[in-house]
Amino acid sequence: MGQVAHRGRRRAALAWLLLVAAAGLAAPCLPLPFAPAEPDLLAVGVSPAQGAGAGHWLGTDPLGRDVLAGLLFGARTLVLLTVPAALLTALLGALLGSLAGYGQRLAAPAPTWLLGAGLGWWGLALPRPALGLAAGAGAVAWGLGQRLWRRSPPVWALSLDALIQGAGALLGTVPRLVLVAAVATGGTLSLAGLGLLLALTNWPGPARLVRAETLRVRALPFVEAVRALGLPAARILGRHVLPLALRPLRADLPLRLAAFVGLESTLSFLGLGLPPDTASWGRLLDAARLDPAAWWTAAPPMLALLLTTGALLALSKK
Amino acid sequence: MWALLAAACSCSTTPAPPVAVRIRWAQDPENLDPMVLPNPQAIEAANLLHCSLLQLDYAQQLFQPALATGLPARQALGDSLTVFTYELRPEARWDDGKPVTARDVAFSLKLMACPPALGLPNEDTRLAYRFVHEVRQEAAFPRRVSLVCAGQAPTHLQATGTFPILPEHRLDVAGRLRRFSLAALQNWPATQPPDTGLTAFAQQYQAFRVRQRGNDLPGCGPYVLAGWTKDARMTFRRKPAWWADRLPAPVPAVLRAPCPLLTFEIIPDEATAGLALQRGELDLFPQVPARLFAQLRQSPAARRELAFHTAPSFEVVTVAFNTQRPALADAPTRRALSLLLDASGLLQATQLGEGQRTAGLIGPADPRAGCCDSLPPPAFDPPRAAALLGQAGWQRHPDGWRRRKIAAAPAPALQLRLRYRTGDAMQEIIALQFRAAASRIGVLVALRPTEAGALGAALRAGDFDLCVRTVKGNPFSCNFMPLLHSRAVGEGNVSRFGTAASDQLLERLAAAATPAQQARLLRRFQAMVREQDPLVPLFVVPTRLAANRRLAGLHAYGLKPGYALTALHRATATEPAAVPAP
Repeated sequence: MGQVAHRGRRRAALAWLLLVAAAGLAAPCLPLPFAPAEPDLLAVGVSPAQGAGAGHWLGTDPLGRDVLAGLLFGARTLVLLTVPAALLTALLGALLGSLAGYGQRLAAPAPTWLLGAGLGWWGLALPRPALGLAAGAGAVAWGLGQRLWRRSPPVWALSLDALIQGAGALLGTVPRLVLVAAVATGGTLSLAGLGLLLALTNWPGPARLVRAETLRVRALPFVEAVRALGLPAARILGRHVLPLALRPLRADLPLRLAAFVGLESTLSFLGLGLPPDTASWGRLLDAARLDPAAWWTAAPPMLALLLTTGALLALSKK
Repeated sequence: MWALLAAACSCSTTPAPPVAVRIRWAQDPENLDPMVLPNPQAIEAANLLHCSLLQLDYAQQLFQPALATGLPARQALGDSLTVFTYELRPEARWDDGKPVTARDVAFSLKLMACPPALGLPNEDTRLAYRFVHEVRQEAAFPRRVSLVCAGQAPTHLQATGTFPILPEHRLDVAGRLRRFSLAALQNWPATQPPDTGLTAFAQQYQAFRVRQRGNDLPGCGPYVLAGWTKDARMTFRRKPAWWADRLPAPVPAVLRAPCPLLTFEIIPDEATAGLALQRGELDLFPQVPARLFAQLRQSPAARRELAFHTAPSFEVVTVAFNTQRPALADAPTRRALSLLLDASGLLQATQLGEGQRTAGLIGPADPRAGCCDSLPPPAFDPPRAAALLGQAGWQRHPDGWRRRKIAAAPAPALQLRLRYRTGDAMQEIIALQFRAAASRIGVLVALRPTEAGALGAALRAGDFDLCVRTVKGNPFSCNFMPLLHSRAVGEGNVSRFGTAASDQLLERLAAAATPAQQARLLRRFQAMVREQDPLVPLFVVPTRLAANRRLAGLHAYGLKPGYALTALHRATATEPAAVPAP
């Protein structure tokens, strides 16, 4: 009985998500009488009952924008932003997590490390960028000197696990919303820009999952066996470890999507990130602040957000 | 036992602390230096801290003597100069008991005229009071001061009396400015380095401003700054012994300040301010948005607690172009783009039709409105806008409009950034409407909502292509130089407009000697604004006040801030509460 109900919930969740995705992707082709960012100056803040006659089936917000158009194009923004961002996060997390878990070490001559660090310092415009250039120049001189004297420079090896875990811990010290909001405050971002920002700030979660699974899988006898056969590490990782190590991401992906849906809506509600003329459920909620009595502006996006997040959470359960 | 209790009760009665009148401000004043005053809130605060020779009596719509004993004696000198002679009140005193004298008036004018090289923040005031050429003082009459003004404009009478008077003995202890005449400071050559005495004065003045952390320079106004939490609250306390309290009855209306405590609650969000008013956490909500005002008026609960006041105002909502941007440097392009603003629709949408359309910067409520009666209000006509853009040298491409290529130079694109105040529904609707109309003809517009604090700085720095801006009207002045003169670029002239001809016209208008000449020049000014389109006047917003019924002394006026701040107080048991306007 419980399983039937669970299966029913999953089906309903999937159906809702498909509906949101279909509505969002088809929004530009739908015969909507109003564009999402275009105010109807003769129908500002009208309720569905007052606006239905003029084609505003769900009314208009206090800025005169059609709520139905905002809802549909908001779904489009959500789909086009969160799905690629969640996939990119998973990809980045899988790559970095597997490298960290497989215990690879990155080895290179010391001047190469120094050159990279110097150029990085300069490229990121850290304090006194000339210092980075000087370090880079010093590294080049060191490398040339070693070659001139026919000596091989010392090789420094860096544990990828320590590097990736350290970077993840560093990102984890700042709350995700604060981090994204701080970057987004610098100016409006495009959909792709915001997606990239979400991925770059959220990869540590999936990376930790994949690392833990990689650590488990690499100790399994069949991996030991292929290693004994002398196969290269990249092949072992790609062919034999990753297919098993990526399993936790299947459960993580819907959760990540739900988190991104919430994050995007929060950013739009705060007026950060996407341009103000990009339709978003969070922006509809923000407009509802202008007139707390206009329930028809707040209710549809709230309901849509609730159902979408709930559906994603239901999908993540086994 | 009962006797003891009664005695204890009678002993514990201490005077109740004064109850503040709480007023909503949409933004922080940022600066209280009377030479800077970056926004209307700062002007309001300055009027509490400082006094001028004349002050506006809102009820009579006339300037009345404040520090002066009466209106100035006026004397024409030849056909190009006017002398205004003021007598200062003998009762007028600074907080340290020293009298306000002619030296303080001269010092205040000289401070406003200090050359730019000194780095004092007086760009706006230097331009606004440039028409005062000389200050004459008489040793035998330390309270008499004469101001020699260029031109014989009738509006000079008000203009010479409305700048804040600052204490010389506090801000220029060594009397360094006394060595310079007003004209010498005004005409200081840009190439000549400032005198060492002037530099020392400027450093001392700036140090004083820094030392006074709130920038609250000493004033002889009725209030002192009692507290300032940035972006949250500002409180003013009535001076216990203000000099005007010693005036013989009846005290002039402009010198009454009955409220012991004024608190300004800084609430940027309009809906939040509306809720605070309904919950009794605010006493006065000035400039209520039209929709909220209508909702409150219809609500029986709100009607029980609140009084509503409206009046026609002089505030014109405009969209300004940054005329220094290459794409917007030519008038035909600006004129074409101005056709994308649906002023009638916007008036209906944002003011529920309660404001008035206007063809120029002087609105219909202004007594001088007849000077622009020949101009029709700007039309909304996107197809004609596209045609005019073509005539202005733009070509439509699939990715937008580009200027015709000249030689090998890259063709500039018509991509516009429109700035407006975030959270301001009226400004956002205007921005969305313009963007929608522009996108219909292929003009790309990016919206840039900006926080109120950052917006002023962005506009002054010219970091925009278009911006939505409300221009404060003043029926007593014809001085539009701070708004459109090339010397005010980077300050009040956010459109960065200014040609030799327009500057000359503005200067002549400010100095117009007779009402007939003023009317003729005003007509030319309005026509010039329409022809050059540095800014597009859309409509005039009415004054709308919603206030707690316990607030007395409240009436709506057309002039900013829409009410007489110094008349407000809480109604006592014997005094009737505020009565809503019919």
